[in-house]
Amino acid sequence: MAFDDASAVSDEALLVAYGNGDRAAAQMLTARLAPRVLGFSTRMLGGDRAEAEDVTQEAMLRLWKIAPEWRQGEAKVSTWLFRVASNLCTDRLRKRRSVDLDSVPEPEDAAPGAVAGLIEADRARALERALAELPDRQREAVVLRHLEGLANPEIAQAMEISIEAVESLTARGKRTLARILSGRREELGYDSD
Amino acid sequence: MTRTEDDRRDDEMLGEFFAAGRETAPLPSADLLNRIAADAEVVDGARAASVAARPPRRGVFAAMTDAIGGWPALAGMATAAVAGVWIGVAQPVALTSLTGGVLGAATTGTYELEDLMPGYSTLSTFNAEVAQ
Repeated sequence: MAFDDASAVSDEALLVAYGNGDRAAAQMLTARLAPRVLGFSTRMLGGDRAEAEDVTQEAMLRLWKIAPEWRQGEAKVSTWLFRVASNLCTDRLRKRRSVDLDSVPEPEDAAPGAVAGLIEADRARALERALAELPDRQREAVVLRHLEGLANPEIAQAMEISIEAVESLTARGKRTLARILSGRREELGYDSD
Repeated sequence: MTRTEDDRRDDEMLGEFFAAGRETAPLPSADLLNRIAADAEVVDGARAASVAARPPRRGVFAAMTDAIGGWPALAGMATAAVAGVWIGVAQPVALTSLTGGVLGAATTGTYELEDLMPGYSTLSTFNAEVAQ
């Protein structure tokens, strides 16, 4: 199956094509979905890149395995993948807590840069650190909503909770983030007013 | 819930942080992409192999034929069926006489011994004559 305009083909169509033996479809799905799952997993795991890559590989592997039995129209492929990645991250966070609290790598806290580009990088780093302080479920909801751009019903599916619960988690998460980050406004290039 | 000025300011500030976060999202390494592609090939290869090794699907008729012993058994059943039809259509004469003799007499309401044993009367007369 040839895809002349790959961007017009849905994730679901690509997954079905892969399930029918089209390996090029798997490449396209990887290019679309792996960066999103990696970004989500990295944030969920507090910046641990190696573990986030393992989670991404495992989640994609599960996607390959389920391809032939994929039931079309029931869920978006990306939503399904975020749910799998979320469960994998939760398992790892649980093990990590039970083993050693100090094993979690601290995100690097570089000195605030004077150059505008560095300010943005600093903001991103500050956000990572603030996210790491949130409870897991709040962090997951905030990341999916504001960094991965999922709609609330999709987040509800990915997290297997109600839409109201999603709204509550994101609201509480954002309040906590604002409280943590407001203390660093000046050094991150914001006016103090 | 009413939004205060502080809420609006927080949203604005967080919006900047989220935008910075989206801009600096980690990109998958070439190694990770290769590992994922290799997994996709392995899973697809295993699936193709299992499909090729699977025996061809058998129809319901073939399964039923096997259940009763294959084609020889089916031939025997066919012969028996044809014989049954032939017997039903041909109606052998002797059988008709017998059933007609017995069942036909039933409509008259009475049976005589001669109805069932036509030669008995002659035999009993003969015996009586010999005895005299």
